[in-house]
Amino acid sequence: MNGLVTLAAAAGEVKGGEAATFYLLAPIAVICAIGMVWARNAVHSALFLVVTMLCLGVFYVLQAGPFIGMVQIIVYTGAIMMLFLFVLMLVGRDASDSLIETLRGQRMTAVLLGLGFAGLVATGLYRALGNLDSVGLTQANSVHGGNVPGIAALLFTKYVFAFEVTSALLITAAVGAMILAHIEKRPDQKIAQPERMRARFAPDNYPGPKPGPGVFANSTSVATPAVLPDGTQSERSMSKILPQRELTAAEAAPKGTEHQ
Amino acid sequence: MVLLVVPAVGAVTAALVRHDLAGRIAGTVAAAVAFLATLPLPIGRGTRVDTGPALVPWHQVDVAWVPSLDLRFHLGVDGISYPLVVLTALLTLLCCGYTLWRVPDPGRGRLLVALLLIIEVGILGVFLALDLILFFVFFELVLLPMYAVIAGWGGPGRRRAARMFVLYTLLGSVLLLVGLVTVVGAAGTADLVQLTGTRLGTGTQYAAFVLLAIGFAVKSPLWPLHTWLPDAHTEAPTVGSVILAGVLLKMGTYGLLRVAVGVAPDAAQGAAPVLGGFAAAAIIVGGLVCLAQNEVKRLIAYSSVGHMGFVLLGIATLQPVGFQAALVGNVAHGLITGLLFFLAGAVKDRAHTGELAKLGGLRETAPGLSGLLGFAAVASLGLPGLAGFWGEAFAIVAALRTGGAYWNVLGVVAAFGAALAAAYLLRLLRRTTHGPASPAVLALDGPRLSAAELVAWAPLVLLIVALGLLPALVLGPGAAAVDALHGVVGR
Amino acid sequence: MTTDIAAETLKLPSLDYAALAPMLILFGVGCVGVLVEAIAPKKARFPVQLVLAVLGIAASLTAIVLAAGTEKVTAAGAVAVDGPGLFLQGSIAVLGLVALLLISERSLERGGAFVAQAAVTANSEADRDQATRGSGATEVYPLIIFSLGGMMLFAAANDLLTMFVALEVFSLPLYLLCAMARRRRLLSQEAALKYFLLGAFASAFFLFGIALVYGYAGRVDFAGIHAAVLDSPNDIALLYIGLAMVAIGLLFKAALAPFHVWTPDVYQGAPTPVTALMAACTKVAAFGGLLRVLYVAFERSQWDYRPVLGAIAVLTMLVGAVLAVTQTDIKRLLAYSSIANAGYVLVGVLAISKAGLASSLFYLVAYGFSVLAAFGIVTLVRDADGEATHLSRWAGLGRRSPLYATLFTFLLLAFAGIPLTSGFTAKFGVFAAAIEADQTWLVIAGVITSAIIAFPYLRVVVMMWLSEPGESTPAVSLPGALTAAAVTIGAAATLLLGIVPQPLLDMTENAAHFVR
Repeated sequence: MNGLVTLAAAAGEVKGGEAATFYLLAPIAVICAIGMVWARNAVHSALFLVVTMLCLGVFYVLQAGPFIGMVQIIVYTGAIMMLFLFVLMLVGRDASDSLIETLRGQRMTAVLLGLGFAGLVATGLYRALGNLDSVGLTQANSVHGGNVPGIAALLFTKYVFAFEVTSALLITAAVGAMILAHIEKRPDQKIAQPERMRARFAPDNYPGPKPGPGVFANSTSVATPAVLPDGTQSERSMSKILPQRELTAAEAAPKGTEHQ
Repeated sequence: MVLLVVPAVGAVTAALVRHDLAGRIAGTVAAAVAFLATLPLPIGRGTRVDTGPALVPWHQVDVAWVPSLDLRFHLGVDGISYPLVVLTALLTLLCCGYTLWRVPDPGRGRLLVALLLIIEVGILGVFLALDLILFFVFFELVLLPMYAVIAGWGGPGRRRAARMFVLYTLLGSVLLLVGLVTVVGAAGTADLVQLTGTRLGTGTQYAAFVLLAIGFAVKSPLWPLHTWLPDAHTEAPTVGSVILAGVLLKMGTYGLLRVAVGVAPDAAQGAAPVLGGFAAAAIIVGGLVCLAQNEVKRLIAYSSVGHMGFVLLGIATLQPVGFQAALVGNVAHGLITGLLFFLAGAVKDRAHTGELAKLGGLRETAPGLSGLLGFAAVASLGLPGLAGFWGEAFAIVAALRTGGAYWNVLGVVAAFGAALAAAYLLRLLRRTTHGPASPAVLALDGPRLSAAELVAWAPLVLLIVALGLLPALVLGPGAAAVDALHGVVGR
Repeated sequence: MTTDIAAETLKLPSLDYAALAPMLILFGVGCVGVLVEAIAPKKARFPVQLVLAVLGIAASLTAIVLAAGTEKVTAAGAVAVDGPGLFLQGSIAVLGLVALLLISERSLERGGAFVAQAAVTANSEADRDQATRGSGATEVYPLIIFSLGGMMLFAAANDLLTMFVALEVFSLPLYLLCAMARRRRLLSQEAALKYFLLGAFASAFFLFGIALVYGYAGRVDFAGIHAAVLDSPNDIALLYIGLAMVAIGLLFKAALAPFHVWTPDVYQGAPTPVTALMAACTKVAAFGGLLRVLYVAFERSQWDYRPVLGAIAVLTMLVGAVLAVTQTDIKRLLAYSSIANAGYVLVGVLAISKAGLASSLFYLVAYGFSVLAAFGIVTLVRDADGEATHLSRWAGLGRRSPLYATLFTFLLLAFAGIPLTSGFTAKFGVFAAAIEADQTWLVIAGVITSAIIAFPYLRVVVMMWLSEPGESTPAVSLPGALTAAAVTIGAAATLLLGIVPQPLLDMTENAAHFVR
């Protein structure tokens, strides 16, 4: 990691490889950020976010912050976003969102104002930062003997109070997640094993395990239903959240394995 | 000061006492005590020293209230405020007494009495306050109970009338507050005793005077800011009208005299012609509109506009005579209009209509009532020998004495206005008391005057006569203060 | 990689525990509250949490009183303990305590104002079922305590990063609390989502602003910024853009136009006691932060930001006053009134003087008490479906329950700034301070708008007193002891601060000195 630090913080000014990397990744980061907001599919949104975060991770490394860059990639992109995707897949994705403008022309105005504001801030910042060199990167990484000790020193001296108070934030977040997501069953709503069994073997219920998708099916895709022994397709074999795939003629054609 | 505490305590008692009549009696007693307390005030007044400050109260209470906001609880009474204080206490007492006998719909007389007493606290506070902010506090204090009286016990159009009243006066208060804050900010003190006579910068003076004058003009009300008044008067219950016309309007003229002129004398001089012009216009407009009115209370209300025009004209001249005209005019108008509204209320209560066209021939069915009405009307038109005369005459004299073509014209216009007053009041009398008796008048409920009414009205009648014969009753105590104020204006 | 050099250079900065105690106590109590949720049996949770929360706030208040007079910067410059900070913390504690009384009321509605399980789908069978029975979630207590702790830190934070953390600490619980109304779940969830999204945007602006200010000054602590404003070699545009963005974050929390749009929706959707908490405490905290940023860090740029913020103050007062006129829901009306009131506080803030600071502090406390009592009364006016907040339902309330109608009238008059209420004293104070500082145009706008906003207040008063009670006029529930206490405290404070404001004015004046 020390190599990275020296590489990145070699000089105050932005040049060579650093500049090239930045100009390559920055548009990607911005486009993906916009894509995250615009994508109608939650999974796509999440993936766009992953790309943006990866780009940010690289930026951090470029700016002599290797630790935070790695954390960004490992924790945010690797752990949190993957967990997020996992949950999305489990819970199901819903692509239906209604976009009704309650105020006419609101979206257009918002876009115009947003662009105007961005332009304003950007030109202001460009003027202010145009020929400004970054300073102190090397010093920040060396004074406590490296990048990680430097961060630790800040966290445990100067910002120790803020750092500790962050725990309150995390506890609140955990409690909040519980409140907003957890439903506690009332005692009278709990179903005991005998009831479960009775329900399972009640008439009109199929007591056996459900057939897996693709079993005896015309294709091996999870999006095609299983074929029951009598040749009919079993809707039960598929997850409700998956759209059923239309079979091509070749796939639907008899394979010669059916019983005659 | 006892004066403020007694009505306040009375108001609370009246509101809290469970029994309606008991509450009303308690309120009336409080009003009576307050009235009695005003009487000995002139005792112990010092003789004025010429070198002293321009405003020397006879008695004063000066307690720091909120020092950090420069708020002092500074009360005092002097020659300018004393007659008004007595008038306020008297009219409130009479009104409370009147409610003992008769409570307007929808009942709940003890609440009405309590509100009247709160109004009294506010008005007395305005007249007594020697601190600008305290002045404003009391000025505002009057607004809401009056609103409640109109809106709670008024006639069919009370909602609209009450809303107009509140909107207008609230707007006036806002300007007033800005003006007061300007003065306080510029002078660094809110104490009237110190402020009267201190010369502020000309710019500040003009800004303050314009703001204050408009604020007070709404309350007075000066044409063309008077439009809230007729509705409020017409819809208010009798006692409400009496208080409203009798003393509430005086807060405006008193404020103009004491605060606006006292604090910004140079600006007052500059603005005097404008003010005078408006006043003369008010006199004429009030008179003309009155001629076209068909409702008793509305007519009296518009006549108030005209009379207050005289008072304002008096103030605008900035002459001692003018100030005295304003003083006498204020008191006289309070007494006469109070009486007129009592009478109009009595007529309306009996005949169930206030339309001039439906009244008539009152003389035959209710001679006592019509006699009093005639007396009050004649007093109101300014017959010499009755109270109304002095205010109008002095105002015209002051205008003429100021000199210059402009003021001469104003004086003549005002005199013409006085003639108009005679015209419309005589018209009122002709339509109501004389002529054949109309069905409404024939069906009068109880044409005779009740004892309570007589008791309530007798002091007013007596005072009107007394003031007519002896204007010195008001002018005497006020003279020194008026001279001092004139000294400040320095014309 | 960790070398021995690092081990010896890391020294914990000195922490003045006595000065930090108010916040530490609250955070500690919040953690204990979470544990109670985990350990205590369901029945016991409510009383335990209530007692714990009250004791916690009381202990925190005691710590504040004990720390009175301290003037120092502690925790390596992260926290400033000084007059305004302690005063604001004290007011947050007191107002929070009163709000806690409203929050804990359980006799008006079975199980309190909070939903038992916020996760149940709104308007489903189970949701309707739990609206009528089921005792409310007790997790609200640790959330409120955390939030109050965050507010206290926000008012005392001495660098922008700590301030940002505090901002998040006190905002996050509020977002959650907004979503927990027992009735009208959809409205409540919408409120929470709106507040959260817009709040996140505002936080992002704040953070971006911090970055830019850091770019300009090279520091994030207020003393450092103060020094850098004078002698930083960097382009001043960085400072302006940074300050603007930091200000946006703060103005959002204080609900100043044009960053106020969330207020009516959130105030309407949130459970009324939480609305009261937000209107009273959040306002105090947000203005506390704004005061410190403007007075301590950016004092030397006052000639640059004053006109802009002045325009915002005028806009806020206008928007609040004018839109209040058109409202038909009492909670929305009070929301717009709170927007307008925020504008008045800003007038005081912009005096940038000792008097301005003192009068703003006074205003915040006076307004906090009044608004708590007002929302307390709103919780009382209810029918079978919960609170009846539509204005038409309040018609004739004066006949049904004169006592509460009188109290509410009094509070509305206080909002309108009628003399002898705390509203007048407070408004007078800020206006006087602004005139002294030659900001007369703000005062003129303020006075005009207070005349405008008196109109909607009077309309409510007229509604209550002069309309005949109809079939739909809801009854006023007899308040439980807690609500009664809260309303009484609020109304009494409104009256007292109107008649004898001197003690509190003295306190604000003594407190009005920031440590840098």
